[in-house]
Amino acid sequence: MSSLTLGFIPLTDCAPLVAAEAKGFFAGEGLDVTLSREASWATIRDKVTVGALDAAHMLAPMALAATAGAGGPVAPMIAPLALAVNGAGVTLSNRLSLALPAGAESLQEIAAGLAAFIGQRRAAGEPPLTFAVVFTYSMHNYALRYWLAEAGVDLDRDVRLVVTPPPRMVEQLRTGQVDGVCVGAPWNTVATRGGLGRVALRTSQFWPGGPDKVLGARAEFADDDRLAPLLRALVRAQAWCDVADNRDELAALLAQPEYVGAAAEAIRPALGEELIFHREGACVPRLEHAQWFLTQMRRWKQVDGDLDAQALIASVYRPALALEALGTTGLGAPVLVNPAPLFDGTTFDAG
Amino acid sequence: MRVLVIDPDPARAALVAEGLDGVDPLEVRQSAQFDAAEAASFSPDIIVVACDSADRDTLESLREAGETNPRPVVMFADRSEPGLAEQAIRAGVAAYIVDGLAPARVRPILEVAMTRFSLMQQLRGDLAKAKANLESRKVVDRAKGLLMKERGLDEDAAYKLLRKLAMDTGRPLGAVATDLLAFAGVLKGDAS
Repeated sequence: MSSLTLGFIPLTDCAPLVAAEAKGFFAGEGLDVTLSREASWATIRDKVTVGALDAAHMLAPMALAATAGAGGPVAPMIAPLALAVNGAGVTLSNRLSLALPAGAESLQEIAAGLAAFIGQRRAAGEPPLTFAVVFTYSMHNYALRYWLAEAGVDLDRDVRLVVTPPPRMVEQLRTGQVDGVCVGAPWNTVATRGGLGRVALRTSQFWPGGPDKVLGARAEFADDDRLAPLLRALVRAQAWCDVADNRDELAALLAQPEYVGAAAEAIRPALGEELIFHREGACVPRLEHAQWFLTQMRRWKQVDGDLDAQALIASVYRPALALEALGTTGLGAPVLVNPAPLFDGTTFDAG
Repeated sequence: MRVLVIDPDPARAALVAEGLDGVDPLEVRQSAQFDAAEAASFSPDIIVVACDSADRDTLESLREAGETNPRPVVMFADRSEPGLAEQAIRAGVAAYIVDGLAPARVRPILEVAMTRFSLMQQLRGDLAKAKANLESRKVVDRAKGLLMKERGLDEDAAYKLLRKLAMDTGRPLGAVATDLLAFAGVLKGDAS
């Protein structure tokens, strides 16, 4: 048996790691895996960098940012597998929801309502609204910024964006410290079940099939003998997670305190409805996704304009490794269609 | 010296205070969670946090956002993570305190962290300045090239003309060059 230590954050999309352990997919590949629950993304990044973790559940843009040395030392990483697509959302506090025009349902209508309300507050000299995201380099941060900016909100002047650990966001919605949060499953469901707000945006509407988490490892791990069996075990687990009949069992498994530690009833809705682990090539880290992240990192001045984006993407995103794992497990290679456009019609090509 | 210790357990703040005994004036405040408003009003010289704290992402985002008054942050790793702190320091990841928090080591570590932090801040400022200078030089070169082509000047005369424009208007050379290029673009129809 080969030993491996994998890090994760208590979020529903750590499911492939938990299922691979619980359903014996790791053991089936001769891997003895220790799952290590971590308290912050920064800890995950540092531990992967120094080799205290062999690989981890990671925000997709984090792997790109660490490799580019954005906001810290350069720490070359690879993303050989996407863990899931979609699953995040924006929840607005009840107070803020009441300020929106009645009947605002589409992403554009809600954003326009928010922009109008933010404009009124500014004119009245009231302090900017506060929104919490999970990490600077995350789909959550980019989706929230893109959505509000499209409606004409000036992200630097009109709102205050803070980084808050997901479990604490629910409490801060309750106390009014934040007016909205952009966070992954199950926390939007936990908040709405607690009567603390309404979900105004789901990333599955923002960008159907859009990226969220990947398996991240340091660059040297690309040549490690344990990588191929690890990926085979994880793609098998992802296929298992997607089977409708397994979802109740998966929700109960994730609900345990050593994993997500939230009610199974709060975890269950996103499975099947929002999060996709295996279908439609969900496990393939798409170059188009990385491309979009780089445009956002540039837009918000997180990386230099003269960064060689293509070289960075090619060194981090390794779709061939995911496809090889699918092929060798007999799960079959997916037909990769062009990614869907964003909610505003913006389309992508791999350039 | 004002130290903010973020830890649910008051024992660590007590250890820090013990280690800093003799520093005068000294104020060590303990807080279970990082609170931006509290930190702003307390205005610590340094923040101490466990490396397995959920507040790390928040602290890191404050540093990256280039807040007006950044603070050095020191992290300590518990003994349950053997080797992590040493590796992290070697990799330049962070100023982790090795092997938990022993009172005798608190003072030198905090002092080193604060010195290193101000050095880093200075380097960061220098880098930003160097980048801006380089950018300005590129723009000036392009403006010179434009003047040489359009006015048939040699390089020296083009530079002198730019410098005169800058002196006449009391603005930096880079700004004058940027304007010149922008106007040239408009006249050619680039920005219409």
